Amino acid sequence: MRVHVLLKFAKILMLSRLRNTRRSFLSNGITNRPILIALIGSIMFTAGIGFGTATVSFLKAAGASPADVSQIVATIFGGIPIFLIGFFFTMGLLWELNASSESESADSINWLPISPSEYVFASTLSTTYTYSPLVLVTVGYSLPIGILTGNTLAFLVLVIASVVAAFIGSVTVEILRSLLARASTAFSKVGGRLMILLRILGIVLILLFTQTIFSGFLIIRIINSVSSANAATILVPLLWPTLSITSILRSNLLSSAYFLLLSFGFLLLLSSSALVLRSKFWVSTPPSLHFSNKGTISGVSRLRRIGVSVVSLALVRREIRSATRRKEVVRLMTIPIILPVMISFPALFSPAPTTSVASGLISPLFLAVPLLFGVGLGTLFLGMTSIGQEGKRLWNLSSLPLEAEAVVTSKILFTSITSTIGLVLGLGLTVVFFQVSILDALTFIAVGITLVLAEASLGVAIGSRYPDFSDGPRPRFVTIIGSIIGAFLGVILMLMMSLPLLFLLLARVFPLLPFSLQLSFLLGGMLGLIFARISYSVSIRSVDGILRELPN
Amino acid sequence: MDSPSSAIEAEHLSKFYGQVVGLNDLSLSVGTGEVRGLLGQNGSGKSTLLKTLLGLIHPSSGWVRVLGIDVQKAPIEVRRLVGYVPESPRLYEFLTATEYLDFVADVRGIGFEEKKERITRLIDSLDLEGKQGETITGYSQGMKQKVAIMGAILHHPKILLMDEPLNGLDPRSARVVKELIHSLARDGVTTIFSTHVLEIAEAICDRLTILQNGRILSEGTAQELREKAGLSNSGLEEVFLKLTGTKGVEDIVEALRR
Repeated sequence: MRVHVLLKFAKILMLSRLRNTRRSFLSNGITNRPILIALIGSIMFTAGIGFGTATVSFLKAAGASPADVSQIVATIFGGIPIFLIGFFFTMGLLWELNASSESESADSINWLPISPSEYVFASTLSTTYTYSPLVLVTVGYSLPIGILTGNTLAFLVLVIASVVAAFIGSVTVEILRSLLARASTAFSKVGGRLMILLRILGIVLILLFTQTIFSGFLIIRIINSVSSANAATILVPLLWPTLSITSILRSNLLSSAYFLLLSFGFLLLLSSSALVLRSKFWVSTPPSLHFSNKGTISGVSRLRRIGVSVVSLALVRREIRSATRRKEVVRLMTIPIILPVMISFPALFSPAPTTSVASGLISPLFLAVPLLFGVGLGTLFLGMTSIGQEGKRLWNLSSLPLEAEAVVTSKILFTSITSTIGLVLGLGLTVVFFQVSILDALTFIAVGITLVLAEASLGVAIGSRYPDFSDGPRPRFVTIIGSIIGAFLGVILMLMMSLPLLFLLLARVFPLLPFSLQLSFLLGGMLGLIFARISYSVSIRSVDGILRELPN
Repeated sequence: MDSPSSAIEAEHLSKFYGQVVGLNDLSLSVGTGEVRGLLGQNGSGKSTLLKTLLGLIHPSSGWVRVLGIDVQKAPIEVRRLVGYVPESPRLYEFLTATEYLDFVADVRGIGFEEKKERITRLIDSLDLEGKQGETITGYSQGMKQKVAIMGAILHHPKILLMDEPLNGLDPRSARVVKELIHSLARDGVTTIFSTHVLEIAEAICDRLTILQNGRILSEGTAQELREKAGLSNSGLEEVFLKLTGTKGVEDIVEALRR
């Protein structure tokens, strides 16, 4: 393994990350160089020291007992390595999921004399360095805590354990990348719709898994388990860096050294596995899906009888195929479905009985509002990315005799259909957890559909006004400015649609106002439809402009 | 409508991308059933011209009429009549060749029986049989080019705009496409195509247009271009190099060898 090649290649991967994530609004100069990460890291380290000092001062001012302080230090120091492993793994994984199907191939580098080991280590180094500011902020935060509470040695162990944890997270991603590439090839051989379903299911599960890790519940439970000296924890290698810290905090130097060595050993084992897998599953060509020997020509659809044109059907069919077959789009499509589940995490994990609220002043339907918020955000995001994902394939639409109305309608229709699946899922959760009445459930679905339409139309309007057609390895499909404006308007829209609910609350306080829950939702829904119509017109103007002037 | 013998007319076309000149006061007339070749160095404006003729690019000034229709005013009408093959076509890689052609046929309003017959025939003719059920992701460059060409001729266009259409094609398919262009021309289909392969341009085209810096440098039949260059008995490559003012090829080769 040649170190200079490894470092050079890691630098190239770093540049790729930097320039693909920030290309829209930052120019050349320091912002486009890896040194930027080190600068951000230094600032975050300093900020961490400030927060850590403030924490210790707060504890002293609050008169915390030495036992309380020890417990808090154990929780903070012990939690950091677990959090870092989860963070590096998740960020690396999400980065991988964002990769476009076309960039899966190793063709761009496999003509160069780069060995699998150089590839794996450079990629690991690149991932670790990219997210290193997080290590620095946690180390900065722990520094004053360690010194001021007399745990300097534990702090030094924490520094080593944090670095090891960061590398464990990064190298695990490398293993997963190789396995995903292998799975992708295997699925491709399976081919057809089964492969598509498996891939969608896989991505949904991966996203849910990563979100569960970040829900906070898991980490707290793990820390409690480690703190209570649960014997079973020593069998979990991912906890070894944490155990090295909790051991030193209990003044058990030998045990700490033992777990630190085990952590290094685990990192080495993972690295070797990553090397073996990468050299075995080196991806040479992007996988091609096999559907049939002849190919399928679509027949005459029954939907034509209800007035759906052949053009609209062709466009929606194309949208569905794009969304289910392109890896970089599948993850977008799953967002409106996953968000309601994520938002319901507190309800799922909370020990407090949810039904008790129903007997009070507030209807349980109010508790469904956060779910609608999740579906709305997911819809908005999906809509915003719908135009930019045409990428360099836009000429296909531009060169055909297509009106902007047809394109916009198909985009809104597809976004709405996908999000309605999330909505129905949300409704299911609402019924299960909040035990709402049938009338309330129907109200929920009605207002949900108007919300979905409004957010989908707004999303397409923003996506067509601020599209990002660059087909990089990690496409984003909407510019940063567009994302910010879209998110702002999307939230404003949802708040405006929620205004009648505020009136309803006022009506409960001032009984003279003749407001019912259903009426509030109806008014909100009507507002949503008005927004949808306005956004539709805006979208048509923008898409017409795009079809008339192919982006250079 | 203009003279029926003129299928494409462009007057004083200019296109500027900031300081960069795409087209510069270019005027062009192409007759019905004519096969016109566009020649020029990289960046001379060939692709920009083809896109402008189809209404994919809005000119900074000037106008284009295709079969008498103003492209700026009625781009959709023009696109109904024209088939287009871009340079390095990016197709929908997530579709199979059949699904892609099915999509194009539906948008172009071709009925079920007709599209089925045409798609099957085209796939047979261009040797894609057996591969049409796989997504385009795994296709070679040449296979993708074939799919793009099929998409362009599926609706029996009256005008064909092709940007280096023979790129990546195997000799048999290239021959099929060349014969196809001749055959379509006999049926009155007007074709403009750009190429860097001068032998092909001479073999296929009725007339040639050489572009440089967004302007027409010279225009005429291959023989007329030879005469303009004062190289009556030379190959078209010599004529092209002389007309475009390319000098010192030997010096460049020497520099590359070093």
